[in-house]
Amino acid sequence: MRRLIENRFGLLALVLVALGALYGVAFVSRPAPAAQARPQAVRAPVESVTAVCPAPSGSRVSVVTPADPERPETPGSATLSPIKAPAGKSGKGGDDVIDRPGLLWQREIAAGGGPLVVDATGSMAAGLESAQTARETSGTQRGLAGVRCVEPGAESWFVGPGPAAAEMTLYLANPDAAPANVSFMVYSGEGPVLSERGNGVVVKPGQHRVIRLRDLAPSPLIMALQVSTRSGRVAAAVKAVLGEGRGVDWLPAAAAPATRVVVPGIPGTAGQRELYVATPGDRDTSVRIKAVLKDGSYALKNKETIEVPAGSASSLDLSTGIGGQPAALVLESDVPIVAGLKITGTGVRQDVAFTAGAPSIDLGSVVADGRAEGKQTSRLVLSAPFAAATVEVRLVPTKGAAPDPVEVKLPAARTKELKLTPPKGSKGGFSVVVRPKPGSGPVYGGRVLDEGAGDGQMVTAQPLAMARIWALVPPTVDSPGAVLP
Amino acid sequence: MHSVTAIVVAHDGARWLKETLAAVLRQTRPLDRVVGVDNGSRDGSGKLLTEAFGPGNVLTLPRSTGFGEAVHEVLRRLPPAPAQEWVWLLHDDCAPDPHALQALLWAAEQDPKAAILGPKLRDWLDRRVLLEMGVTVSRSGRRDTGLEPREYDQGQHDGIADVLSVSTAGMLIRRDVWDELSGLDPALPLFRDDLDLCWRARTAGHRVLNVSDAVAWHAEASARRRRRIASSEQHPRRLDRRNGLFVLMANVPFGALVRALLRNVIGSTLRALLFLLAKQPANALDELAALGSVIGHPWRLLRARKARKKGRKQGWPAIRRKLTPPGAALRRLADMVQGFLAGAGPVDSAGRHHAAADPGQEDDGDELLTDSGGVQRMLSSPGVVLFLILAVITLAAERTLLPALLSSDGHLGGGALVPVTGSASDLWRLYIEDHHAAGLGSQTWAPPYVAVLAGLSAVALGKTWLAVAVVLLGCVPLAGLSAYAATKRMISYTPARVWLAATYALLPVTTGVIAGGRLGTAIVIVLLPAYAALATRVIAGSRRAAWGFGLLLAVGTAFVPLVYVLVAILGGLAAVSFGGIRRGVRRSLVIGLGTPVVLLLPWLVQIAREPGRILLESGLHDARLIDPRLGADHLLMLSPGGPGVPPVWATAGLIAVALAALLLRRHQMVVAIGWGVMLFGLLVAIVVSRVGGAAWPGVPLAFAATGLLVAAAHQAHRIAEFRAARGLRRLGAMLIVVVAFATPLAAAALWVTRGAHGPLRGDLSDPVPVLAELQSEPGEGTLLLRPRDGRVGYTLMRGRGPLIGESDLESPRDATDRFTTAVAGLASGRGSTYVETLASSGVRFVTVPGRVDPALQQALDSQPALVRVSLSETGGLWRVAGQVTVPAPPATAGTLHRGWLWAQGGLLVLVLILASPGARTKEPEGDHIEAPPEEAPRSRRRAKEGRAKEDRVPA
Repeated sequence: MRRLIENRFGLLALVLVALGALYGVAFVSRPAPAAQARPQAVRAPVESVTAVCPAPSGSRVSVVTPADPERPETPGSATLSPIKAPAGKSGKGGDDVIDRPGLLWQREIAAGGGPLVVDATGSMAAGLESAQTARETSGTQRGLAGVRCVEPGAESWFVGPGPAAAEMTLYLANPDAAPANVSFMVYSGEGPVLSERGNGVVVKPGQHRVIRLRDLAPSPLIMALQVSTRSGRVAAAVKAVLGEGRGVDWLPAAAAPATRVVVPGIPGTAGQRELYVATPGDRDTSVRIKAVLKDGSYALKNKETIEVPAGSASSLDLSTGIGGQPAALVLESDVPIVAGLKITGTGVRQDVAFTAGAPSIDLGSVVADGRAEGKQTSRLVLSAPFAAATVEVRLVPTKGAAPDPVEVKLPAARTKELKLTPPKGSKGGFSVVVRPKPGSGPVYGGRVLDEGAGDGQMVTAQPLAMARIWALVPPTVDSPGAVLP
Repeated sequence: MHSVTAIVVAHDGARWLKETLAAVLRQTRPLDRVVGVDNGSRDGSGKLLTEAFGPGNVLTLPRSTGFGEAVHEVLRRLPPAPAQEWVWLLHDDCAPDPHALQALLWAAEQDPKAAILGPKLRDWLDRRVLLEMGVTVSRSGRRDTGLEPREYDQGQHDGIADVLSVSTAGMLIRRDVWDELSGLDPALPLFRDDLDLCWRARTAGHRVLNVSDAVAWHAEASARRRRRIASSEQHPRRLDRRNGLFVLMANVPFGALVRALLRNVIGSTLRALLFLLAKQPANALDELAALGSVIGHPWRLLRARKARKKGRKQGWPAIRRKLTPPGAALRRLADMVQGFLAGAGPVDSAGRHHAAADPGQEDDGDELLTDSGGVQRMLSSPGVVLFLILAVITLAAERTLLPALLSSDGHLGGGALVPVTGSASDLWRLYIEDHHAAGLGSQTWAPPYVAVLAGLSAVALGKTWLAVAVVLLGCVPLAGLSAYAATKRMISYTPARVWLAATYALLPVTTGVIAGGRLGTAIVIVLLPAYAALATRVIAGSRRAAWGFGLLLAVGTAFVPLVYVLVAILGGLAAVSFGGIRRGVRRSLVIGLGTPVVLLLPWLVQIAREPGRILLESGLHDARLIDPRLGADHLLMLSPGGPGVPPVWATAGLIAVALAALLLRRHQMVVAIGWGVMLFGLLVAIVVSRVGGAAWPGVPLAFAATGLLVAAAHQAHRIAEFRAARGLRRLGAMLIVVVAFATPLAAAALWVTRGAHGPLRGDLSDPVPVLAELQSEPGEGTLLLRPRDGRVGYTLMRGRGPLIGESDLESPRDATDRFTTAVAGLASGRGSTYVETLASSGVRFVTVPGRVDPALQQALDSQPALVRVSLSETGGLWRVAGQVTVPAPPATAGTLHRGWLWAQGGLLVLVLILASPGARTKEPEGDHIEAPPEEAPRSRRRAKEGRAKEDRVPA
């Protein structure tokens, strides 16, 4: 030992041995590469929902919350009340209270009066769906006109005929406690329309406004309308009245601008189909159109693309391509676009219906209003444009037990149309709950309601919207480091 | 024709008296009359006087008689001489040159207005040293000779000078003037009586001259406490100061009096504080007592002023010119600081009587020879040059960080550092408040490093960002300077110190610290060389170094608790190895290691309760800042992983040189210790990086590097030997130098080319949007959400961004859980009353910085109770529309906390005083005053010791 220390190389050797040992320890203890497990968001039922039916007077309002055995039963109720300032928002006598999930609630609303607000909490909130449907057999308003009661939001898009082609009316309602500072933007066939009268309006809490779009932009034949709020939220809806004998319906809210838009829910009935596409950006684009039909998905002959100049809207008649067969359209573009489609019924006196770009219904969808009385037919048009899917379709009656669900297999790139037959013993309407099975590809769909009246078919349509049953609760951490980018 | 009467006043001065008397009698101009006065001497002075002057010429007075009184007594009894009579006053410890009187009288003949003349006074022991050539006084009553301390007389001041006053030692005064002015004031038995007399003489229109041809050697026995003073009970220092103040205040006109009073009250308080810090409480007491004695006897002062009223105002302008100019105070302060840094007592200065006899500066002789300017002296120091070079490298590397920080209102932050907002007072409030309103509220005591940062911010004019930027961004040059300064005693070979400092400053740890925003490690890196330097003195048993070490260790531990563990283990090993060798090592070690524990007590208990926190440092603990799979080669090459670290080969040169140092046989002990520290640090680094979770092995690797650098640099002087040799050895030396310098050069080059980019940024915006800050009521909060990696991170800010240190506070668990659930519900968009829950915690705004995730935006927009205020590419802001209640702070009994804070403050001051350097060499023991007479043998022994010390002073 002593010799080792006194040797010139002794200390060096000792140090090298120690270093080697430490290297070994560090090498052996080095942990294996661990895959970073991404924390998963947790599904939780939605606990409160507010929806506004824009103009229910003279319409039938349907409200439904599907029952779900997965969810714990919690007390909850939905209240229907005329819109009013939040100060007086305490369930007064005249309000309708619904507290039974799993059953459809329907009522004909008397003419006159403003928007209705549906406020739901607890178990009535998860998946609450409401709609208003009007049926007129004569006059300018002849036809079926239905619309989902929408949640107030910060932005909505509507695509359809312009104020020069139809009487377009914008309904705004603000059920919240804060004023909504709303602005509009109209994209016409000739480009964005800059209104001289200013394109903003403030909707105070509890207020509702009805705006004729002709006053904002009188000339467009086709248009895309963006309703957005700088602050606050607003529920917006647009009604199109094409004129005596030419039809009436509400425009469904279209999906926000995206480079791929699916327009689902085109029924297999005869009649005109007109596609509207608009791009709000500042680049011209050529939109590729693909139809998803019963027997496959392909581009339509001579209608492969539609050119849309920057900041404007274009239309294309697709009657010869998809008329008479259930379909969905997949539109792809290099710049974000919004899209809508006009369905025209047959007969001497026509009626129209509108569908629009819609998101896929990953967590399921609910349609409040379905009818099968007399000559009325309800159809469900389901498409799986990208991958095969299996969906479960369940009907919810107004009373009594619900019938067993039906399973529908959708091969990839196919569209299927289901004619909905009401459960036995059910009177009046029914609701439809559509839920993709786990492992399914994205499913898009729409519900079409038509009535074969003597002087012409009456029709209304709505694309399936994702039901607000579940919300994804992200894992949340209190971390002071959140202040850093 | 002149007649000269010499009066020699003796008081216990037999030691000097013999020579004095011989000198008086040997004058080339014979004296007409000589009178000796013995003020009750007990050492045979009276006998000596009688032998020299004859019994008839000696007067014996009581022991308590002062100098002035004695002269008065003689002149009262002595009839005036027929001719123009001069009185020559001499102390018993003042031996005049044989030609002194002749020269004085010659000068008096040249100037008929001259009434008082004084010789040039030199030191009794070191006879070349100048003591006085006329004395003046500053406006604060300080005596000023206008000479440098220990200035040698080379004729540089020679000539006849018109001065404010001369000393009574060797003073030649016309007897009629004496009578006219009624002589020395008996109220001033000792000190400054001369100044008073000369002042009055000048006011009366006479002249006071200093004649350099006349020389006298003066022992200043009373002032230097070579003998006891019997004429006053007080300490000579206090007496000196009191009389100085008194004379000044008695002689200046009223306006100047008021100014002098103010100046002295403030000045004395400050000086007393300085004295206290310098651990000279006796001096502080004297300072205050002197002032109190003057102010406390207003009647005495008024009487004195009344007596001096005549001509005072008219004479003032002429006298004012003779006072020390005000600028001299600044110069004295500079001298003081310089002296303090050089290790002298902090408040010694030229004005003190005994300044000339300070034997502590013997070894500074060579420095007196180089008379270079301060700037030149600084620039020629390798340490300063190194600092400047490192600063330039730092500026070049941080070119992306600094402009944003300096130009706009960008905030420094990122990595482990929250955006630095707030001021020193905010930090201070955070430290002392019992209840922290920040976030969800917390009752935990703020971590102690907040106090350190508050102190640093206060130094940086209250700007926390400046303090943090200097410490964090400037940690490379600071570490270099610290390493260079700390190795002064360890390594004598300057190039080796430069290499060590540069390598240390550019370690991978340092650049990693800057990129990761690790303020705590940055501070530890700057302090680490100081630990090493102080540790060597602690091992040597220095108590003062131990206190300093403890204090600095407490600072480092507050930021990085692991430092304490490392130091404690090394200290334990040192105690085992050195405890038996040197006395007092154990005690010093206990002081050094105990001080941090005491200063950081409650916080350390918290840390000990959660042992995982020992491995963590101050600031945010972000797992993205560390490399969880740090390779073994990285660890061995001192690379801690994470952002901002150079490639692994950058430190290869350092390791190679340190290994080579093992081959040299001399001083193997130091090398072995250095390598031991390295291996120990490495082991700890491996442990930290493997078990620490979010811990970063920076500090243990810095420890390892320190050991390695000391081992390598300690042997570097052998390079010089090898270089002097020829052939292979010379080549080897060159090779080693190249390899050694490759490490810092490569590190600097890599750092500059890559730039100090990383999580740390200088352009962060305030996390609280301006709108939210403006529209929030006090106490209302802004909830910040940031989705990242599938998680939503949130933090609640009350009106301002989080301060450094607030991330370490803990909120009550149930409140946090409730709040987290509410935030999750809010971010999910499922509705319900989550917003109300948040509002009940005082949330007024919800902000999402950066591009807002569409799902999150949807979720927030779907909340009826939230109103969107703005949404853009830079972020979104929502406002809670309903009622927001700010939770009231709970009533807390913070007495324990308050008490602890006071105790901590007191302990800190105590440690500071114990640690701060006093005078390095003590003044000659002056225990004569304090020593009671019965302890005479001991005091004699001390006197002997004192003499022995004096004898070493070169003659």
